[in-house]
Amino acid sequence: MTTTAGTPTTPTPSPTPVVGFDEVSKTYGNVRAVDGLTLTLRPGETVALLGPNGAGKSTTLDLLLGLKHPDSGTVRLFGTTPREAIVAGRVGAMLQSGGLMDEVTVAELVRLACDLHPKPYRPSDVLARAGIGQLADRKVDKLSGGQAQRVRFALATAGDSDLIVLDEPTTGMDVTTRQGFWATMREQADQGRTVLFATHYLEEADAIADRVLVLHRGRLLADGTAAEIKAKAGARRISFDLGDGRIDEAPLRALPFLTSIDVSGQTVRIQSSDADATVHALYGLGLYPRNLEVAGLGLEQAFVAITAAEEAKSK
Amino acid sequence: MNSLIKLELTRALRNRKFLFFSVIYPSVLFLIIAGNADGTTRVDGTGLTLPTYMMVSMASFGALTAVLMGNSERIAKERESGWVRQLRLTTLPGRGYVLAKTASAAVVSLPSIVIVFVVAAAVKDVRLDAWQWLALTGAIWAGSLVFAALGVAIGYLAGGDAVRPITMLTYFGLSMLGGLWMPTTTFPSWLQDIAEWLPTHAYAALGQAIEQSRAPHVQDLAILAVSFALFAGGAAWLYRKDTLKA
Repeated sequence: MTTTAGTPTTPTPSPTPVVGFDEVSKTYGNVRAVDGLTLTLRPGETVALLGPNGAGKSTTLDLLLGLKHPDSGTVRLFGTTPREAIVAGRVGAMLQSGGLMDEVTVAELVRLACDLHPKPYRPSDVLARAGIGQLADRKVDKLSGGQAQRVRFALATAGDSDLIVLDEPTTGMDVTTRQGFWATMREQADQGRTVLFATHYLEEADAIADRVLVLHRGRLLADGTAAEIKAKAGARRISFDLGDGRIDEAPLRALPFLTSIDVSGQTVRIQSSDADATVHALYGLGLYPRNLEVAGLGLEQAFVAITAAEEAKSK
Repeated sequence: MNSLIKLELTRALRNRKFLFFSVIYPSVLFLIIAGNADGTTRVDGTGLTLPTYMMVSMASFGALTAVLMGNSERIAKERESGWVRQLRLTTLPGRGYVLAKTASAAVVSLPSIVIVFVVAAAVKDVRLDAWQWLALTGAIWAGSLVFAALGVAIGYLAGGDAVRPITMLTYFGLSMLGGLWMPTTTFPSWLQDIAEWLPTHAYAALGQAIEQSRAPHVQDLAILAVSFALFAGGAAWLYRKDTLKA
């Protein structure tokens, strides 16, 4: 094929991404809440945005929904601005800080949400699907925390949107209610929608998401399936005391699957990606560890482990 | 947006305290103030009897209550609770929230005006021409928009704790000093000089001009126009600031 110089090669057309973040940053004072975030969500994905408090999850969702504007970079929804996508009825969202109008009933509020949606469902169906049919006549200001969350969910799913965004949807729910709610969320995903939800429960991400984004200090630390993330965050903490005299660190450092070690006095603290093998090798050294403890890492610590691993990798 | 107006209205009509103060209270106050007046005493320099004069003052006061009291506090609260943010995730245009609030207040303010008129006509024998009744209703109703804009501005200016005292101070200050509770002619002259420049004074003066079958003073019209521009401009500016802050 003869081409003149400069003719661009046409790439195979890919479907327009549902969400496209390109080098997005947002700073408050000295804090970089979101730091050069680039990510793409494709149609039909169920994505968990995972991170500890202060990781930038809410800011990311605010930017995504056009409630905040990035200092730099661009945010696109369905190839348009967030506002255009919302006006076209393609996005339903539930905010963590989304207050509700008080002194009205749940049914009235849901009807309003349906009226405001370009492709609305019937209010009675929306109530039923959110599991709040029996609360229809209740005043909004008389709801428990978990009930209010369900009403917010109803507002987010009042119409046939292509993307559902949920910011910490199960906050304020007890364990049983939370699991019931996951079924409700899964239903949305099963209808072919893209569902993006922020959470700080690893378990929640595991139960629902087929893709997990780990956010830490405004940066995307990991992006993979729940299983991949869990393996990454699955590090265990081993601690024990070694008696009498100075501890020879060199053989300890050579233990298999060890990711970090800290010796203070007679106490040794180790992080390992395979605790069984590490402990086995520890006995293999002929040492006799006392007060041996093996514990899983909390999510917070798992993040630290992932961060440390990432930083080590980049060196 | 109509559905939001409808819901705001449903809510307002359900709130008995708000309805009492904006719809019933002005008429009660009218009867208390004008109750003993014999209908022949004239208010200095106006040629109007006290009941006729106070009827306009109280109708203006009622409209002021309806548009100022409910909205400023609601807006401040709903900004804090995040309801305003939630609405921004709907197809409702940005100003739709404020417009719905103003529209629903305007619906409540109409009966508060009309009830004062009915009470004044029935109990105190206030008699006016048909065109005057209509013009009065229209002028007081339309004029209340000035204070609706003020209510919105306060709602965006103040936070949840400060909004009530600020609203109260503005409300009582404007009502009293503007001469809605008693003719400003009873004020000491230095206070009259101040009162003359208040939008509430100009607001009531508009109605009293209609009762006297004369054209309103240019100064009063100008004060109302400038106040409206200030309040609406301020509200729009504060609204935009709030939106950017999210």
